[in-house]
Amino acid sequence: MVVPVEPTLEQPSIDVELHRRLVYGDESALREAYATYGGLVRRVAVRVTQSTAAAEDVAQEVFAQLWSRPYGFDPRRGSLRTWLSMLAHRRAVDWVRSESRHRKDARADDSALAAIPDTGPGPDEAVVDRERSLLLHTALAELPRTQREVVHLAYFAGRTYRQAAVELGIPEGTAKTRLRSALRKLAESLADPPDPASVRGA
Amino acid sequence: MTNDHDGVRGLLAAWAVGALPPGDARTVPPHLAGCESCATEAERLRDTVRLLDGGPSDGRPPTSALNGSGSADGALAMALRSRGPRTPGVAPHAAPYAAAVAGLQALVRELDGRWGTPVVHDWDAQATVAHLIAADEHLAVALGVAPRLPASHIPEGTPAGDAWDRRTADVIAHEHTRTPEETVATWAAQAAALLATPEAWDPEPAARAVTVMGLRLPVTDHFVIRAFEAWIHTDDIGRALGLPVPPPPDKHLDHLVRLAVRILGLALHDAPPVLFEVTGPTDTSWVLGSGDDPVTAELTLDAVDFCLLVGGRYAPAEVPRAETGDTGAVRNVLETAAALAWL
Repeated sequence: MVVPVEPTLEQPSIDVELHRRLVYGDESALREAYATYGGLVRRVAVRVTQSTAAAEDVAQEVFAQLWSRPYGFDPRRGSLRTWLSMLAHRRAVDWVRSESRHRKDARADDSALAAIPDTGPGPDEAVVDRERSLLLHTALAELPRTQREVVHLAYFAGRTYRQAAVELGIPEGTAKTRLRSALRKLAESLADPPDPASVRGA
Repeated sequence: MTNDHDGVRGLLAAWAVGALPPGDARTVPPHLAGCESCATEAERLRDTVRLLDGGPSDGRPPTSALNGSGSADGALAMALRSRGPRTPGVAPHAAPYAAAVAGLQALVRELDGRWGTPVVHDWDAQATVAHLIAADEHLAVALGVAPRLPASHIPEGTPAGDAWDRRTADVIAHEHTRTPEETVATWAAQAAALLATPEAWDPEPAARAVTVMGLRLPVTDHFVIRAFEAWIHTDDIGRALGLPVPPPPDKHLDHLVRLAVRILGLALHDAPPVLFEVTGPTDTSWVLGSGDDPVTAELTLDAVDFCLLVGGRYAPAEVPRAETGDTGAVRNVLETAAALAWL
């Protein structure tokens, strides 16, 4: 008797097979995971850290963890895509925290403050970076909460719009629409930041 | 699907931030190629995402990064270094053992603070690894690898099964005076030494038969048996921890099945013949039993279930199966398989 192959959800079975190969030390499985999700992991990390160098470190940590602790990922509990982006997000947040601790330490120490321009980005660059991230922060804060949630999941945390919809308990169509409205609004505030003077004048 | 203008239109924002599932992602580029209004909208959304990214406007859509076209690739090379490579280049007969060793090494990293977890028999996780030291040692000695632990005093002429049990008991007692990390290190070092023997690399010296624990088989088969046992006990530890251990890679699973069927066939040489099918990576059938009589029954088992039965992890009556024909003949096959007891 010919038993037809049961139609299973594509992604879970791919993840299960990849996990099996990772467990048994098959290097090509890590290469494959990296080829598929390396970009996603970097993107999540760079969005949180605003630094490509930090994102590189995060990517290395994330894939090192997948390789050395394959049992940390359990394909029964979620997709590899979600697991990797959550791990990337967490590691990136850790990086930002330790970075801000460093900065505080440095501020407490005048000689360290003097040393910053030699190691970090130039002062102009740092100012631009700070302004930019402040601007971004403000723009995001101005979004309605429902839109901000979708942006957070789909942009910063690497979820697909479907996963975001499930996590927020909203229809997929709503997730797509909110994301689109949010991008429109962000485009306005980022491309044309409100000038305090003109706001007063109006 | 590429003509579904409204559908693709609705996806563009998610596409621009790289939040499309793979199925959806495939529908966007073909539509953009043919629809100017969507292409313009897509470009506008991507510009916004570039503002968010804060990166230079290099015009690369975020989805391209999904294909791993990221920088070339120190991160991957560094990540690969976080775990020793599985012994590359061993001969096919030793590859299942190399993989099984890598599999247990991955699992023991989850055992911090849980080494006392009861596993099987009256063994905790540390004793289970200690048992593998004792079990692998028999082949190691036969291949000229120096023993790593004090010898047991087992009188000449002790039956193989008893000698096996006593060696395991001695090694467990010895290892319980050490830390689990030391036990793992001893096991891993011996496994590495086994995988470094010429017999692991070259099928020619591995073709000679040696007697290990009463079984006279080619060294190639003994390596497959080592893989079998390492996986079964890794699976035991995984069950105890609530971490399901995946079955060995298909090719290796196939090695295990074929060896077990061969040994089972020898044990059943004059039994009533049964058409025996193993399903899984490769569906294969054999006739087990006397070749002179017509087949009296058919028995079908899944490859993993069959291995678990042979490994003593299923009672003969409980293993999931499909059967037709003479139930007595089927029961005989199942009971003989469960009694092989070579693990």
